[in-house]
Order: sequence, then C-alpha cells, then structure tokens
Amino acid sequence: MAFWKQLLRDRGRTRGVEGLKTRLSSFQDLVAKNNRVLELFADAGEKLGGEYVFDIQYLHGLARSLEEEVRGVVQDLEALTGRRNKDLRAAVERVSSEIGAVIDSRVVAPKADYVIDLDAVDADLAEVVGMKMARLGEIRNHLGLRVPDGFVVTTYACRQVLDHAGVTLEMEEAFGGDPSPDPDRLKAVAAALAGRLEDARIPAGVARAIRTGMSRLGRNTRCRKVAVRSSALGEDGDLSFAGKYRTVLGVTAAELTAAYRQVISSLYTHEVMRYRMDRGAHPGRGLMAVGCLCMVRAKAAGVLYTLDPSRVDEKVVVVSAVRGLGKAVVEGVSVADRFVVARDAPYDVLSRDTVVKDQMTVTAREGGLKRIPVPEAQRSEPALSEGELRELVSGAMRIERYMKCAQDIEWAVDTDGRLYFLQARPLRLSPTIEVRQPDLSGVVNRYKVLMRDRGEVACRGIASGRVHIVENDDALGDLPEDAVLVARTSSPRLASAMSRIQAVITDVGTATGHLAAIAREFRVPAIVDTRCATDLLAEGMEVTVDAEENRVYEGRVDELVHSQLLRRSAFEDAAEYRLLRGILGKAAPLNLKDPQSSSFTASNCATYHDIIRYAHEKAVEELSSGRRMNPSRNGRFVRRLELGIPLDLVMIDLGGGFRKRDKGRSVGPGDLTSKPLCALLDGLMTEGVWATGPADMDLDGFMSSATRAAPLSNPLAARVEHNLAIVSESYLNLSLHLGYHFNIVDAHLTDRRDENYIYFRFAGGVTEMARRARRATLLKRILVANDFVVEGRQDLVIGRIKKVPTDVMKNRLRIIGRLVGFTRQLDIHLRDDDALERCVNGFLEGRNSPLDCTGAS
Amino acid sequence: MKQGTRVMVVDDESIVCERLMKHLTGEGFEVETFTDSAQAIERLDSGPAFEVVVTDLKMKGPTGLDVMHHVSGNSPGTQVIIITGYASIEAAREAEYTGVFDFINKPFKLETMAALVKKAAKKAGKDRRFKGGGGA
Repeated sequence: MAFWKQLLRDRGRTRGVEGLKTRLSSFQDLVAKNNRVLELFADAGEKLGGEYVFDIQYLHGLARSLEEEVRGVVQDLEALTGRRNKDLRAAVERVSSEIGAVIDSRVVAPKADYVIDLDAVDADLAEVVGMKMARLGEIRNHLGLRVPDGFVVTTYACRQVLDHAGVTLEMEEAFGGDPSPDPDRLKAVAAALAGRLEDARIPAGVARAIRTGMSRLGRNTRCRKVAVRSSALGEDGDLSFAGKYRTVLGVTAAELTAAYRQVISSLYTHEVMRYRMDRGAHPGRGLMAVGCLCMVRAKAAGVLYTLDPSRVDEKVVVVSAVRGLGKAVVEGVSVADRFVVARDAPYDVLSRDTVVKDQMTVTAREGGLKRIPVPEAQRSEPALSEGELRELVSGAMRIERYMKCAQDIEWAVDTDGRLYFLQARPLRLSPTIEVRQPDLSGVVNRYKVLMRDRGEVACRGIASGRVHIVENDDALGDLPEDAVLVARTSSPRLASAMSRIQAVITDVGTATGHLAAIAREFRVPAIVDTRCATDLLAEGMEVTVDAEENRVYEGRVDELVHSQLLRRSAFEDAAEYRLLRGILGKAAPLNLKDPQSSSFTASNCATYHDIIRYAHEKAVEELSSGRRMNPSRNGRFVRRLELGIPLDLVMIDLGGGFRKRDKGRSVGPGDLTSKPLCALLDGLMTEGVWATGPADMDLDGFMSSATRAAPLSNPLAARVEHNLAIVSESYLNLSLHLGYHFNIVDAHLTDRRDENYIYFRFAGGVTEMARRARRATLLKRILVANDFVVEGRQDLVIGRIKKVPTDVMKNRLRIIGRLVGFTRQLDIHLRDDDALERCVNGFLEGRNSPLDCTGAS
Repeated sequence: MKQGTRVMVVDDESIVCERLMKHLTGEGFEVETFTDSAQAIERLDSGPAFEVVVTDLKMKGPTGLDVMHHVSGNSPGTQVIIITGYASIEAAREAEYTGVFDFINKPFKLETMAALVKKAAKKAGKDRRFKGGGGA
C-alpha cells in the first residue's frame, strides 16, 4: 500500500504518466502500422486476382511500403519496451534483401543439407527441393499416396556446384547489364556455360552426400537404380518448363554423380534460357534441385489429365497408358491406350481406345533403358485393368482437390500391381478458356443458398466440401481433405490447417487479418465475419462456397467447382504477376503461429508477417504485464473510483478516461469517459454479480484455501486491494486482485474495428488442484463460447479477441466484467464436474452468481 | 462492315498493353497498342483517327503529355485518358489545361478503365455501339 499512498501523494509530478502516454502512443502506432502491412498484403493479394493492371513500378512501391511499415513496427516495439531488438532488426534486413532478390530476379538457395530424404519433404521446402519435388513430398507425406522412395539433392548443393565450377561468375559476366541478348549471343553463352558445367568436378562434399543418399536408399529399400529428375526453382510452379529440363532414367549408383551433372547442366540449354528470357525472367539465373527416385518396375505407365484440355466443359479425366515405362507417352513419341473416365466416384470408364502395343521401354539390367517387344498375348489388351484405372483416377482426384487446380500427372503401375505417382503439376490450359461459363447463373439458381452476402470475402475462389466446425485447436489435426472449415474466430492458429482444407468461413474476423492473409497465400476461398456461419452451417453438411459472389450453397454445385479448376489463366504467367507472387511469398506467409511455442522468437521471424505478428504479441505482453506500466510518479491524472462495492480501484488517466473534479481524489461512475472501462464495469455492476452474501463454504474448499495462503477466515471477506486501471477514452489496462485471483484486462475500443482487441488474463486463486482445473475449464468454455481465442497452462487462462466491431467489443467487455465478478466466489462452488457444468451453463444463460447456478444453500 | 470505336493504348510496360488489348477488345472496342510512344505518335499521323487514346504518363522517349499534345493539335475530337502511377500534379495540370478527359492511377481495375473508355468514347461522339448507330 505504501507505493499507492506515495502515488497519490505525489500529485503534480507527471513524468511517469507522460512515460505511459508515450508508450501507449507507441503501441497505437504499432497497431496502426501492423494493420497497414496486413492491408498491403490484402491489397497485393487482390491484385493477383486478375482484375487489376499493374506494372513493375507498383511492385517497387509495394516492396518499399512494406519495408517502411515493418521497420516502423519494430521501432514502435523498441520504443514501447525501451530495448533495441537486434534479432528483429536483422529479420527485417533478411526479408528485405530476399524481396530485393525477387524483384531483381536473383535466385537464392536457402542454406540446407545437400541431400534431403523424400520422407522429410513438403511444400515448406519448395525453395530447397524445387516445386516438383515439394509436390511429390506433399503427395507422399500428406496425402499418403504411393510415391517412389528417394531423396533430393538440394538447390543449396546446386549453388555450391555452380559456384565451384565458376558458372555463376561466368554467367553474370556474360550477360553484364543486358539480360536480353540477341539469339546468337544467347546461344553462345548457353553453350559456354553448359560446357563449363559438364567439365566441372562436383565438390567433394556434394558428391559424398549424393553417394551417402544413394547407399542409404539401397539399404532401406532394395532399390538399385534411380530416376534422376530435375526440380528447378520455378519449374512446374509459375513456369512449367515442361520437357525442357533433362531426366535420366535407370541410373545406377556408379553413374549417379554424372547423371546429376547432366541434369543440372540443362539449366543452360539454349532452349531453357530462351524460355526464361521470353517470360521476363533473367535467362541465366536458375537453380535446380534434383530428385533421385527409385525406378519403378513398371508393367504400365503414362499420363493423366484431370480435365480434358481440349474439352474442359465435359468434366472427364483422360488417361494415356503404355506397357512398361511411360517415357514414350511423356515424350509423345508412342501410341498409347486412351481412357476417358468420370471425375466422380465410382469413376466409371466412359470410353476406351485400346491400341496395339508392340514395344515397351524397360530398365536395362546394366543401367539405362531399352526397348523390348511386348509379349504377344498382351499387345492388344488394355494396359490398365478397370480396377487399376479406378484406383488411379481416385488418387488423381485427391491430388486435384489438394492442389486446388486441374492436374497433369505422371504415374506407373509396377509388376505387382502397385500404383505410383511420379509427378503432378498444374494442367496448362489454353489461355482462351474463359474463367466462368456465361450460363452459370441459371445453374446456381437450382441450388439452395444457405448464406448470401454475409461478412466479407477474404480470399476469392470457389470450393466444395463438408462442413467441419472447429471449436478448438485440437480438432485441427483430424480434418479430412474435403473439409470446409467453419470457426467462430479468425484465429491465426487455423493457419496450420490451411494447406489441407477446401475453404474457410468464420463468424468473426476481417479481410485484413492474419488468417485472411494466409488464406490468400494458399488460395483457399475464405469468407470472414459472417456472424452466423457456426449457427447456419451444420457439421458434416455438404456445401459449395462461392467466395467470388459471397454465397454458400447447399450441396455440391459441380458447375461452379468445375469452373474454378480452370481459373489459372495466361496473365498469371506474366513476369509482373510472378514477381508479385514472389514478393508476397517472401513477405506474407505466417510461420510463427503459436506464441507459447519455444520457436516464437525474433530470430525465427522469416517473413514480414512473422515480424509484425511477433511484435504485436510482444507489445500486448509488454502493456499487459504491468511491469512498465507502474508509474514512478503520479500526477493530477490519478483518481480513486468510488463504486459502492469494496473494489479499491485507482485510475490513471492517459487522456479522456474520466472527468476530473477540482476537489477530491475520487470520481464516481458518472465521471467515467473511458469506453472500455465503462463497458466492463457495466458487466461487473450488473445486479447479482458482486454478491456479498455469505458463501457456502465446504470444509475441503476452505481447508485447501487456508493451507495455501495467509490466514483468513473467509476468502470473500478479504479486502480487495492494489487494483489499478490505466485508462484513456479508448484504452483500458486493468489489474485486479480479487480475493486470491489476479485478473488483467487490456483492451482497446474504437470505432475502427481493426484496432479493437481484448486481452484477458486470469491467474492464481488458491484452492485444491481439482477445483483449479475445473475453474480453468469453466473460464475457457465461457470465453470460447464468446468468440475468444483461448490458451492456458494450469492456473493461467488467457483469452483474446480482436478486430471485432464496437458493439461486439462492448458486449464482450461486459461479459468479462460479469466473469470477473462471477469467478470471485467461484472456487468454493466447484465441488465436482456436475457443479462445473451447472456453473458454465448458468453463466451462459445469464445467471450472475455461482450460487444461482449450483442452487446450493 | 460496321466500324467499332477505335482505342489507342500507349504504355511502355507490355503487360499493360497486353491486358488492356484483351479486355477492351472483349468489350467491343478496336484496340491498337504501342509500347513505343514515338511509334504511337507516328501512327496518330497516319491511318484512321482514334476516338480514345489511353496513354501512360511517364515513358521512355515521348511522354504521355507529348502524345496528348500531339492529339490535341491534330485530332481535337479524340479523348485522352492518362494513366499515371505518380502523383505528378504539375503534369496533371498541364494535361488538364490542354483538355485531358480523365486520369487513372496505376494499378487500376480493368473494369474501371473500360467504363472510363466508354464514357470517353461517348464524349467523342463516335461510340456507335452505345448510341445504337450504324457504320462510319
């Protein structure tokens, strides 16, 4: 108490308060800049939609604005904490330099092992293993479909090889400042670079890693020969490079290093360099990872398109198949069986065109490939049985659903009848194909609209699937592939599921929030802030989410979903679009999703999104901790709040928090002008919330409390003290010690919903362990039911909600007020789980005292 | 044969030309694009006149204002829309002085540009498609 007496005595000295004002101002600046960065992400994401025209100047401007705002966020955090954050500054430098490299079309290989097993590969490693291998990793490790065993020689290894051979230097010198030389010059440069690489020695470390990878593969499987496949940066991603890079099949361990060199040399063929140049990329700047995958002893192989590119409106899958390996089909040099199959289960075969297959390609015993005659009896037989076709198409459709666009897939069936997926990439369709068929409006009228124009579209697109309502993070691990995720809040934690779901709909959230940015990154159709999705949509219901027109239909509107598969159009291949995607790829992904994780550190920030998320989290923590909020000097801004209940609350006004009367140290509720405090007190002062009657003490509860604290006759009788509210018109930071509970509320309430948030923390409170657990459960359930994102450890429960409209904010603050009063006398009532149930339900039904809920006398 | 409304697009960024060509053609305009503003000025001196000229402001060689002055001097009925990615007030004022139809900032929406071109074409009094008129 001495501190507070001193505080109240030292009127007129305002240094401490001024310090707080400065910190609050820093915080508000940080929030504003954080929001601007998210708006820039949203704005740039919208530009990728195809409706806008922009140029390279826009990209430079975007990169500048992003960097400026993010630097500002870091500076505001530093001002708030009073500490320079070297790690965070370094992260900004890193991301900024990566974005600069994107704009200059420089390719960067992230530091990585030289060789990575395919088992450890997924989309997150796209820059290390190339998009082609990243996709295979996803198919194998996330979809669980069969892909040959193997390993990838990384882009980092490739960088070592190119640098070691002097190729990088020679290439930069050859092009100098002219990345668009005439054709003869380009040919000459290509020949010189390829020649230099073919003559070069592979650095010992890389060669050793490749040998080790191969012998490990041989040990773990019985694989003796591999297919050596290119997986260059950008290949099968923004640019297809289809057939332009080399693949070497049937490679033995002894031949592997040479085959590897051959494959990476194809970075510098004239054709590849011309292709890059024609698409606005630097002709010589490329990096390649190389996949080494066990050869499949194929009895049949071929290519599958999940749509027929020449008749996309027919909704069929087209399969080409030959006997033996599929090389001849891929290269288009051999006749093949052609099957047309329905896109929906049970995948009926709609037509068969079986040809006579005299020859087939197989792996030669000594390495390499050879052509041999097809056994007489099999020549006129289809290369695939009906069962194999169904299995193949079923797997292909799963891949299409997962990748969210029509696919071009290479496959093989081995001599034991096992199906393997060898490659999957977006199916390239003619640029003249229209995105939406003109007669769709007539079609969709036949379907029941479940939601129309509710909330905001955060990411455009169309998808179909089954509603999966997620109430807590635990449910995220079990989402099926066709899940349309429906949640109350737009918690960034939902991001972990984004790569696996079809669409996302939330009750609360904004199009500029973290989740919206992640949805755009993954191109997952998203509608947020519907206020009603969790009420209107039932678990398991099949729906079609049209986030182009902001509608949700009952059932699968096949025509809409189908039109979406054709969405990728020619403009997306333009250099400016690729660069914008590249910039957003460096800036927008959110990797730091869990503030409680040990990896939630400044040095782990890999993108601008990570940096602002980290900074925002730390800023809220800083303000909420109260550690720096305790003023060393009070001023004329300090008053005690007289409420008529024993709540000894001292307030510090940062501006507009309350009306000051000239005389006296106290103000009444009528003098309060702090909107968040008014809303909270409105809840706290609701009749029945602040019950002062005798509590129903049972011996266990009492003894348990008595053994954990200073002597007391009745916890409820303990005078509440040391309560502090730092307020402004729109801000509240409240520290409340009530009995043995410690509550912190940090809230910002304005008319600008993006700046609104509530942070509520509940800690402490002596009672036996079982009651503590029940109390934590009660708090969590009530908070979740009111749209808070909740986390907690043991006694500690933290609830957050942000970016909600003013009326919702006020309502939630009232609920926090009620909850603070409710929990004050809660522990002794939580005798068993039944009492817990009754207390949760009672509170949610509007009862204000645990006594009213449990009915105890 | 019916003659459509002729639109010239001048921008040294080829993506702008390509995308406007595709979109405005889809909207029923006859579109010619130039990434070289000197060639655009040459074209203005020869061949049939354009109802609307859409030009970027800052370009290598002759600028959007040069294109605009050329149009004002030689084809007074032609409406000029200037694309600018820069807040270049002086240039805007000068353009206004000589009678620019409107400005549009980059990045812009294709449909916004199409609406603007339609308005400009109406003003040029040549938009037969919207007036329900016939041939030239």
